[in-house]
Amino acid sequence: MRRARFVEAVYALTFLLPYLLTLLVFFVFAFLRTFYFSFTDYDLFHSPKWVGLANYLALFREPLFVQAFKNTLAYALIVTLAQTVLALGLAAVLNQKLVGITFFRTVYYIPSILSSAAVTLIFLWLYQRKGFVNFASAWILTYAPILATAAGLFLLLQALQVIWERRRGLPVHFFDPALATVSLLLAGAGTALLWWYGVVEPRSDVVVNLVWLNTRRTWLGIPIPLWAIILQNVYTTVPTFMLLYLAGLQDVPKNLYEAAAIDGATPWQQFRYVTVPLLRPLTFLVITLGLIGTLQLFDQVALFGSAAPLESKITLAYYVYNNVFPSAATPRVGDASAAAIVLALLTLVVVLLQRRFGVSERGF
Amino acid sequence: MRRRWARAGWIYGTLLFFGLIFIGPFYVSFLASLKDNPLEWPFRFRFAQVSPLNWRAAWKLGLAGAGDPWLGGFAPGAKVDLEVTYFVPQGASAEPPRVRIPRRRAGAGLGAVVDEPFAADYAKVGALEVVARVPGTLAEKPGTFYRYRIRIEYPGSGPRIDRLPMDLELSRSAFRAGVRFVSATLAPNRIERRGRVASWDSLTPGLVGYVMKNYVRVFKESKSLSTGQSLFWRWTVNSFFVALVKVITNLLFAAMAGYALARMRFPGKHLLFLLMLFTMMVPGQVLFISNYLVLRDGIFGLSRLFGAPTLLNSLWGLILSGVVGSSAVFIMKQFFESIPKEIEEAALIDGASPAQTFFRVVLPMATPALGALTILVFQGTWNEFFWPLVVLTSPQDIYTLPIGLLSFRNAYGQVGDWGLILAGAFLSMVPIIVLFVVFQRYFIEGVSFSGLKG
Repeated sequence: MRRARFVEAVYALTFLLPYLLTLLVFFVFAFLRTFYFSFTDYDLFHSPKWVGLANYLALFREPLFVQAFKNTLAYALIVTLAQTVLALGLAAVLNQKLVGITFFRTVYYIPSILSSAAVTLIFLWLYQRKGFVNFASAWILTYAPILATAAGLFLLLQALQVIWERRRGLPVHFFDPALATVSLLLAGAGTALLWWYGVVEPRSDVVVNLVWLNTRRTWLGIPIPLWAIILQNVYTTVPTFMLLYLAGLQDVPKNLYEAAAIDGATPWQQFRYVTVPLLRPLTFLVITLGLIGTLQLFDQVALFGSAAPLESKITLAYYVYNNVFPSAATPRVGDASAAAIVLALLTLVVVLLQRRFGVSERGF
Repeated sequence: MRRRWARAGWIYGTLLFFGLIFIGPFYVSFLASLKDNPLEWPFRFRFAQVSPLNWRAAWKLGLAGAGDPWLGGFAPGAKVDLEVTYFVPQGASAEPPRVRIPRRRAGAGLGAVVDEPFAADYAKVGALEVVARVPGTLAEKPGTFYRYRIRIEYPGSGPRIDRLPMDLELSRSAFRAGVRFVSATLAPNRIERRGRVASWDSLTPGLVGYVMKNYVRVFKESKSLSTGQSLFWRWTVNSFFVALVKVITNLLFAAMAGYALARMRFPGKHLLFLLMLFTMMVPGQVLFISNYLVLRDGIFGLSRLFGAPTLLNSLWGLILSGVVGSSAVFIMKQFFESIPKEIEEAALIDGASPAQTFFRVVLPMATPALGALTILVFQGTWNEFFWPLVVLTSPQDIYTLPIGLLSFRNAYGQVGDWGLILAGAFLSMVPIIVLFVVFQRYFIEGVSFSGLKG
């Protein structure tokens, strides 16, 4: 019996050997060595000198690191929050048995399978001063009066119709789809008439000249170039998480909604009291994956390159790289390693928080 | 009933709207990648490269220039005819524009180092011939539209030349008198000097050479300094090589490790599992310093035995640290745990060794998981940016596509040549999009597999 155990263990070791080797050399050894380097003064060429905690103490006094730390946290929190809320909202809207959903799924998925390099280059073009973002904003602002009129007319017509129907004793909720279609058509026709008679007109004086990249300006305390990266990443990750939610929504029993509807719950109440609680485990997963992913932001920062000033886009991951391979300076591997350990600790905190609160949730 | 239809209408409308929002930026930047000036303001959705008239002209001119309707060119024996229309206001003298074949180098960046023959040294420009005179008005001024025919020939023998650039220049006096360029069989690439000069990058572009000019440039203008080969092509080959090798090693080693973790008993199993979960969460930036040193010194000096003092700047070095990833092992482990044990146990009882059982019985059953894993590893490797950036620095021939795109961005972004950068970005996406459309099912499965990992 003991011999059989032994043979099995030998087999297991053989099967695991390639994996164990890479794990030991490129992970365990690498992790320990980074940890060791973080207590030394090292430049990749001469042997490391032990300096104790000096690197860690110096880090939080260095403005660039503090900026990187702030940027990383702001980026991770905003992107995770935005993508989770948007993905859940979209999934709830799209949670229908639909013919042809595969087609839309393909379309929605494409932004998230592409390489960050290609997507970032495309977004760099979009963010140029004469790029499409500024062009589209100018277009929307130009036609804002028309769009606002159409929206106002739509709400007005819808309200009138709903009141009329309810007077007749029919229970309709505010966004009844059939009535909304009528309102939409009427609002479109009404707006066209008003435009034709010159009651509303597109603005003619719109100039949008936003500088997205080469600027040190901030908005809400976050540098504008970082906002550019935030927008880009929310944009490319929302579809993925939305599909994750859509898969999760398929598992929510339909009769729960029916029961809620019979009890008179509005669609919003159904969403708030049925969908959201049932999806809580999935939401924890989405948030954890989102945070872990966003804390590592590097590619976009590197690809923005000289287009944006360093302190307006730097993140922890880029700080580490930039100190190991600085352009025209001695590598500061000690500082870089200390920053890397801080990054690893942040990730660990996220994971521990998820273990603490995420798994035990049963959904109710 | 009515309500259901309306509801479906709204749902599909919303789906379409969001589809438009998600794909829109890619669509407009693709259009921009076709343009002569991707930063033109205001942005236009209709421009020369999307007009069928120009497609036809480009096709014919490519055929006339080098017998190649797709990519065009200028070869010995070519007779190229182009018709251009100028407006001459009443009272002004009908002075024809001057034809010039400029010596223009291809691009500014990586392509400028390569010496190419100039069409100017071989082309013979014939006299302008007036084909038609039609009275008419331009901007409410009466006058005459002159249609000229320009003939350019390639007499004698010589090399085949890629491009036949041409400038049509009006004299200052004619321009001041109100003579204007109106149109041509093939729309010019640029109008320069406030309208006095109409300029073509190539008169004989061929269909692809005209519509997808920037895409052709991506291949032609990025030449390796050492071999003269197309760098972009080289990067594509490198990317494929790395991705394929990593797919094979990951499939094999991850299946083996996953199987051991799922089915075999050995000391330290739980610890190993925890370590695996931990590795999946640690950022690459925490590990790369040591890994860089390991590659630099050739795996503790071991690679010296095989004659390689360092593994930096080599694709094998890039592959080595990723021959088997923790998430791949995790996916395989989850899969093996989900399939019934009975079949393997039957094989074992029949006297097969664990190795035989694994390769003959278990692996064939694992096709769905292996399929999903193939896609995930291929996509992950194809898109990987950080680790190749650390390992591959010089020469440029050794880059993979994402790093190549970064070097494009650095070389052409400064001069604002966005057409080339965008074209490179789109070209690099093609294999992944093809893969995605063909193996969509596996992509979705991959997400649900890796979605399990929390």
